[in-house]
Amino acid sequence: MNFDKPVTRRESIKKLVKLWGGLSLAGAFTASVTAPVRAQTASADKKFLIEGIGQTDGYSVTELTRKVFERAGGVGRFISKGDVVVIKPNLSWARRPEMAATTNPEVLKAVVELCQEAGAKKVRIADNTINDARRCFALSGAGAIARSTGADLIHPRSSLMKNMNLKGRSLDTWPVFVPLVEADAVINLPVAKHHSLSSLTVGMKNWIGGVGGSRWSLHQDIHQSIVDLATFFQPTVTLIDAIRIMTRNGPSGGSTSYVTAKNTLILSNDPVAGDAQAALLFGRSPEKLGFIRLARDQGLGTSDFQTLAQQRVVL
Amino acid sequence: MKIRHLVWLRRTLQGCFLLLFLYLVIESRLPQDVYIDYSLAFSGQQDLRLGQPVTFFFQLDPLVGLTSLLSGYTLVKGFVWAAGILVLTVLLGRVFCGFICPFGTVHHAVGTFKPALKGGRMLQANHKVPSQKVKYSILVLLSVAAVFGLNAAGLVDPIAFLFRSLALAVLPGLGTALRSLFEAMAASDIKFLNLASYAAEVIVSPVFGYNPPAYQTGWFIGLLFLVILFLNRIRPRFWCRTLCPLGALLGIFSRISILNLEKYAEKCTECNLCLKHCQGAASPRPDQEWEAAECLMCFNCQNVCPEDALAFRFAWRPARNHQADIGKRAVLTGLAAGISFPFLARLDGRIDKVSDPRLIRPPGALAETQFLELCQRCGLCMKACPTNVINPALAEAGIAGFWTPRLIMTLGYCEYTCTLCGSVCPTGAIREITAREKVEQPIKIGSAYIDRGRCLPWSGNAPCIVCQEVCPTSPKAIFLKEDVVVTADKKTLKVQLPYVDLKGCVGCGICENKCPVRGLPAIRTIAAGESRSLRNQILL
Repeated sequence: MNFDKPVTRRESIKKLVKLWGGLSLAGAFTASVTAPVRAQTASADKKFLIEGIGQTDGYSVTELTRKVFERAGGVGRFISKGDVVVIKPNLSWARRPEMAATTNPEVLKAVVELCQEAGAKKVRIADNTINDARRCFALSGAGAIARSTGADLIHPRSSLMKNMNLKGRSLDTWPVFVPLVEADAVINLPVAKHHSLSSLTVGMKNWIGGVGGSRWSLHQDIHQSIVDLATFFQPTVTLIDAIRIMTRNGPSGGSTSYVTAKNTLILSNDPVAGDAQAALLFGRSPEKLGFIRLARDQGLGTSDFQTLAQQRVVL
Repeated sequence: MKIRHLVWLRRTLQGCFLLLFLYLVIESRLPQDVYIDYSLAFSGQQDLRLGQPVTFFFQLDPLVGLTSLLSGYTLVKGFVWAAGILVLTVLLGRVFCGFICPFGTVHHAVGTFKPALKGGRMLQANHKVPSQKVKYSILVLLSVAAVFGLNAAGLVDPIAFLFRSLALAVLPGLGTALRSLFEAMAASDIKFLNLASYAAEVIVSPVFGYNPPAYQTGWFIGLLFLVILFLNRIRPRFWCRTLCPLGALLGIFSRISILNLEKYAEKCTECNLCLKHCQGAASPRPDQEWEAAECLMCFNCQNVCPEDALAFRFAWRPARNHQADIGKRAVLTGLAAGISFPFLARLDGRIDKVSDPRLIRPPGALAETQFLELCQRCGLCMKACPTNVINPALAEAGIAGFWTPRLIMTLGYCEYTCTLCGSVCPTGAIREITAREKVEQPIKIGSAYIDRGRCLPWSGNAPCIVCQEVCPTSPKAIFLKEDVVVTADKKTLKVQLPYVDLKGCVGCGICENKCPVRGLPAIRTIAAGESRSLRNQILL
């Protein structure tokens, strides 16, 4: 190791996050020498939206998740062999999965396994939770999934928050949860929920869990904040979990009476289209949602489904 | 068994019990990798609990058992262990002090590895002195005060003292120091140090966590700990000889012990080695009467005696001087203080008239009077709390409730379905409740109110719904009404104004904790409305 050469903080973080993952797994170091190769960004060129619906009783959520990715051309379209993949579920609340306040654990598990099968070198699950992270991980089922699949569940902490310039219209320098940016592929895995200020929290709003600091003040300009964050975090692909959706008392819910089964998954590489499609499940017109309008106007994506390659998987 | 072996057995056991104690202190928290079975999480039948018996040493402690019995008429969970210790003491003397007590071991180690006194001064320090009666005074004070409803034993109980010091001062202090070190390493330009800082943080996280907790009065708890350790430089095991009320209790119980120190004065050459190594100042020299109640059963005297003039022997007849040298004055002082303190402590009116609005007790805490009868102020609930909300009280609970648990919502908040604090309380001052009970009854710890002058939408500054968003109850106890306010530049602003529904509010404080108005949040939590009190209510 060359100790004389100065290292930028960003470089060191990159190295360290890799090192951390290795340590947390089995104490084994997995030093990476090669520069990360971006997953085929070709997928970003051709916009698509795939809706998976489980119509038969007792359909398998795992199966549906796999089918949806298959229809998109397989996970290999987004992940190359040897990639470091980070999955950003919504694990904000220490609620049981049936409350639909957090990403469906079956979907999360299926996605982790798909990434591993596609040859990902490392699969990380990262979210800066609102309730105590340990309790969120335990109650949402994410902890059990990390244990059974061997994925790294990254405990949010201040040493992994680094100030970065988001270059947004409303947001500039914010502490960013680095595992979410130091990865070869990022899979956004939100759950679709009601939200009392932004109406809905789906894919783009999920990135509020990607920053730290005094993020509660983001609510003062919520729509622009959502769009700024979604612009900064641009995931490789977004899979929206609408197996169960929370229709009232969001985003934390707390009763199964607010939860409706929609048995739907929406996979898209267009963050705006995905959220717009999810809005329809709530009976909302996407055009009436501030953050979707703003995101569309800023060219983050489209809410006009006709322009997309749209497909549907029914199980 | 040869005496040499017995002394080594003692040292080994002391080490083991101290390590066990440290281990249990460290384990008194949710582990970083707490994963419960997914199906159980789904059914909601299981509450998160700690894996280790973290209250074990409190169950062993007869003083905790006794004062809880005297004040709260309660047999604490696992009191059989304490009863066992008493039986052991009746038979063998203060073996708890010599073999088991982790605080005693700490003092023993401090005094042995770095003795402050040499030669004649050490001999002088090891003579029995009248001030050793102080501990009996303290014991009488605590017992009598307990009878009159003030259980202050935990302030000076060795187990509670050590737990509190380690959990609320030593560990957070070390954690903070390590964190500064890691931050400095991460900020350096040396690549290796950068890497090492992240790795080191992960390595120490099982003990220190990722964010070192903060505790009100933590510095004072730590300072007191240092002072007590420092006293070993004046006399070895100063605490055990002079102050420890548990030692006093066990001393009284040792009066009919069948294990006696037999002395053979004719063999003694007055080398004073026994006195030099005596831990309890129990007059081991053959020309003095052995003080069984002061003896910490370390067996040093017999071990070091070159002439075999001392020997511990089983005898069915107690030795002459087995009766503890308590003294009338010590008892009377203890009585006078023990009777007056509980009433003096009530003069501030915190118990009888009006309680401090900021005195929010953990969920499941008993009504204030019963709570003070049982709380040991040990800090276990504070250590176990995953959000760091539970803190030692300074003046909020009055002088009677110094260091009892109190929730500070700016440091943390009470997680809606978390019931960890009650599950670790050694005396049941905080009842063990289930998440279902907590949510469905519900168990309220207070209620929130909005400071409209500071609230962003109410004051016309910005739209904000954070308190409503984070409110965990269903339906939410904070509800919104759409309104239009006029901003400073005479523009209209569409906002949602938050209101608190007192019926639904449980006082968890997450709204106060997450409120973007820093410093003094715009929504705050007070104890009024807490389920445990009949009087401290707002609504009919």
